[in-house]
Amino acid sequence: MTGNPDLLAELVEALRCLPGVGAKSAQRMAFHLLERDREGGARLSRVLGDAMQRIGHCKACRNFSERDECAICANASRDASLLCVVETPADLLAIEQATGYRGRYFVLMGRLSPLDGMGPQELGAGLLQQRLASGEIAEMVIATNPTVEGEATAHWLGQLARAAGVRATRLAHGVPLGGELEYVDRGTLAHAFGTRLTME
Amino acid sequence: MRVESQPAYVLHVRAWRETSLLLEAFTRDFGRVGLVARGVRGARARLPRSLLEPMQALRLGWSGRGELQTLTTAEPDGPVHALRGDALLSALYVNELLVRLVARNDPHPGLFDRYAALLGELAEGPLLAWRLRCFERDLLAALGYAMQLGTAADTGAAIDPDATYDYLPEQGAVAAGSHPGGVRVRGSALLALDSGALPIAEDLAALRRLMRMLIGTHVGERGLQSWRVLAGPLRSG
Repeated sequence: MTGNPDLLAELVEALRCLPGVGAKSAQRMAFHLLERDREGGARLSRVLGDAMQRIGHCKACRNFSERDECAICANASRDASLLCVVETPADLLAIEQATGYRGRYFVLMGRLSPLDGMGPQELGAGLLQQRLASGEIAEMVIATNPTVEGEATAHWLGQLARAAGVRATRLAHGVPLGGELEYVDRGTLAHAFGTRLTME
Repeated sequence: MRVESQPAYVLHVRAWRETSLLLEAFTRDFGRVGLVARGVRGARARLPRSLLEPMQALRLGWSGRGELQTLTTAEPDGPVHALRGDALLSALYVNELLVRLVARNDPHPGLFDRYAALLGELAEGPLLAWRLRCFERDLLAALGYAMQLGTAADTGAAIDPDATYDYLPEQGAVAAGSHPGGVRVRGSALLALDSGALPIAEDLAALRRLMRMLIGTHVGERGLQSWRVLAGPLRSG
């Protein structure tokens, strides 16, 4: 990179902050924008600048939002008595797209993990406790991931719900649709077997 | 170097790049090792992601050298312990203890077996706090900081169950009030930890303070994250 002018080197270096982008990809991106798509590059820089400055967290659910309250929390037609707790904004989107859930959310922005320094404080415990104490919520759906840390988080969330007198439910674990038992991993199969349902 | 079918437990998992994981594993013959598991996330994962979750008995294979080596194989080695609730939080605490106190590539086969046994004990349920104290005692001993629990450090006399002592980090138990610092405990608490016989609740609480102080001297000023992170969620231990 030694022969390049400084600004170009800086652009390549800056692009490397994107996940999965190494030196080579960053260089390709920079050359592509400069050679073929200056307009796209200008738009990217404008939107990126705006987004970094204006997108904060919703004051009710902690999801990313450019307003004080995000669109879901501000939507009066959503059921305020249901609160679904997820680890990340990506998890929220997955549930929105896959299910007909019409309640509200709370985004932890992480999971309980001592080694990563993520505890109740980092996960917005204070705000969540306030919402549980408001008396508005009848059921808290715990939708943390079925990982060790997700389960530990679910256990803690269950305690918060119990302390506030709110019913807590947990997403079921099971055999994936279209899956074959022979190929399902042992933990999932054991779990699905243990929590089998009565045939209606 | 190439290692095959090594008994191991994953202590911690962190997402890395698009499809890889960084694992901190505790192995029987190689101690704590850092491994990169490539291509194990997403729909086309090479291994089931559930296999690399912490606290399961595994057989791991890896190759490479240096701080981070590459995971080549992973298979289950025995049944999965059903750790739930406080037992699960306790196990997360123990994992942080191992990551913070056991140096990488420093084998501790005895401690490995002790850890495996502890997970089984935690899964059984009761007496979590007491099981943790006994493990902490064995961990310190394995690292060369064995506690002196049977005799007083200042007089060399046998510990009197009814006497009160101050346990100092470098020396051990001395007559209460004779030296500054240390954690105040009754002789009965020290003898219980020495013999592994369940102490009364008051002694158990004193041992918790004692072990925390001793561990604190080895992990540095920041202390363990678990002390802060798990203080609310984990009430028992």
